Amino acid sequence: MLEANLQQRINAQLLDKLQLAYICVDSAMTVVEVSDNLSSYGYNDIVIGANVEECVDFMFGFDAQTQLDLPMVQSPSGITISVSLLPSDSLLTVLISNASNQADQRQLLQQKANENELLVERQEKLLTQLEQASEQLESKNEQLEEASRLQTSFLSGVSHEFRTPLTSIIGYTNLVEQSLQRPADKTGSDIQQKADHLRAVQRSSRHLLSLVENLLDQGKLDSDEIMLRPKATNLVELFQDVELLLKPLSEAKHIELTISLGIDDSTIVVIDDSRLRQCLINLLGNAVKFTDHGSVSLTADLSGDFLSIKVADTGSGISDEDLEKIRLPFWQAADTGKAGTGLGLTITERIIELMGGELEVSSVLSEGTQVSFQIPTPMLVDQECAKILNPTQSLADMAVLLAEDDHDIAALMMVMMAERGVHLTHVENGALALEAMQSTSFDFVLMDIHMPVMTGYETLAALQQANNLTPVVIMSASTVEAGRMKAESLGCYDYLIKPVDVDDVIEMMNHVALDKGADHTC
Amino acid sequence: MRKKKICMVGDFSVGKTSITQKFVNNVFSEKYLTTIGVKIDTATVGEDKLIVWDVAGRDSLSPINASYLVGASGVILVADGSRSSTVGVLLEIWQTVTNRIGSVPVVVALNKADLDGWQIDDHSRALLDQQGWDVFATSAKDGKNVEAVFKKLVEIMNCKES
Repeated sequence: MLEANLQQRINAQLLDKLQLAYICVDSAMTVVEVSDNLSSYGYNDIVIGANVEECVDFMFGFDAQTQLDLPMVQSPSGITISVSLLPSDSLLTVLISNASNQADQRQLLQQKANENELLVERQEKLLTQLEQASEQLESKNEQLEEASRLQTSFLSGVSHEFRTPLTSIIGYTNLVEQSLQRPADKTGSDIQQKADHLRAVQRSSRHLLSLVENLLDQGKLDSDEIMLRPKATNLVELFQDVELLLKPLSEAKHIELTISLGIDDSTIVVIDDSRLRQCLINLLGNAVKFTDHGSVSLTADLSGDFLSIKVADTGSGISDEDLEKIRLPFWQAADTGKAGTGLGLTITERIIELMGGELEVSSVLSEGTQVSFQIPTPMLVDQECAKILNPTQSLADMAVLLAEDDHDIAALMMVMMAERGVHLTHVENGALALEAMQSTSFDFVLMDIHMPVMTGYETLAALQQANNLTPVVIMSASTVEAGRMKAESLGCYDYLIKPVDVDDVIEMMNHVALDKGADHTC
Repeated sequence: MRKKKICMVGDFSVGKTSITQKFVNNVFSEKYLTTIGVKIDTATVGEDKLIVWDVAGRDSLSPINASYLVGASGVILVADGSRSSTVGVLLEIWQTVTNRIGSVPVVVALNKADLDGWQIDDHSRALLDQQGWDVFATSAKDGKNVEAVFKKLVEIMNCKES
């Protein structure tokens, strides 16, 4: 008995010395024996006869037959232990040893290794991001260089485009002025020569105007400010107008320009005529510019409520590579030697989109280019056409007031309107206009916006307040949409952009004459 | 109460311990402390008591010790959604699991969903979809889907047993 106790004490001391503990379980996983030092690992509730799976969490799920090593298990006391399951006969010995030193060393090593690996991963990720950022920067740089190249080419193009018609205008007006200083020559040839000079001035002026319109529209493209203002339009007259404008350009280059219309003379459609005119001038202008031999043709057909237009030339053509770029603003082919702003096609495409169409371009290098589009153009019924084409009212009887502070423009308007049989009463500002309207009943008022003493806006506001319904048409040099909207909100009849086409004014007067008595505001 | 052993497995530093601690003790620490060996915790889901083995992650020095998996009824595969490599390695880890304990119920936790720029790339997504696993975007930090991932695993395990 004494020997057995001694043996037990020696065993216990040995286990403590080796920091070992154990649990013995039978084949049913029932605890049959445990070492006394188990509590030092936090296992305090293990009693003989209990199921080991119930009192030792790490034993759940094991059986008594499988030998297994479980290194570095965190025990309830926080000490890391290593567990060995040692089956023999009908018993399973669960040997527990203190592995805290080993775990601490492993912890230090593993922590550093993992942190290093994370660092490497982060570095790789950052390097990838850096490479991507560098690529983006490079691409941005290329874009900026391209933008700078386009800007330089644009400025040089604009300069050339402006100088050419300006040279023509200055030259021809000098010639006319010199001829006026010579003794009067009433021969037919002299008059014809002056008329030719003045036509050249007019042509160049219109070209300048279309150039300015394109430049201004580019700004509007960016802010989506281009708006359509459809109105009843005689299509044949519009095409004839465009032909007259482009003919001198094609004749100067000895190119045949043909316009074939499958449209009835009396057809009136609802469309923004000035925008359509702008598109046609841009497309035909480009075709003439890039054609040195052969012809440029425009064919237009009206089918149902759709207008189809095709412009074809026998010019230099466009390469497949350049076809992808021609719609970009400011883009111009590098090797053509042709000046320009590179805006015409961009603006034309946008306007056609706004009109509900799609611009299609096909081209064969050295053979020519075809540009086509189709847009919805609702036709007016005959009765409405008749009204527009044959106004019954006489304009000469209308009392028309012109409020304009610029004497040159006022004088020009008075002369041009007088030629159409309309006589204007001229005042120089809004206040004088109001005064005149108090003493005289006018049928129609043409008014500038920027005038001294009282602006056009202030005058419109005063008229609105006085409930004066006289139709007032604003003539403004400002193309900013907000200006038009402000004038409209103040009850203007319509809004014309300077330089004003007298035909537009006459057309509006016809409308006023037709609508007389009706409340018509824009 | 039914007892079930489950194992949290995945690459190192994906948040296995963080998810476990959030679920068991509702705590979270930003500090990264690598797990050595295995930590065992318990938690209750409905009628089930889970014995959660939070197994040290697979890393460059050592693979997952498959002995820890013995007796497990299910596993939660954990990856870090901001490190695509940890998603790719899940297949390899799953192979280790099935080799040792067979095809047990499994759910996937794509952790650290709270991080800026957390996004699973198309390749990883396709890889997970191919396996037909239930995948949760989890965040041990804010607790997103942490409970859901454990509940789903219990649901699958119970479904398999019945």
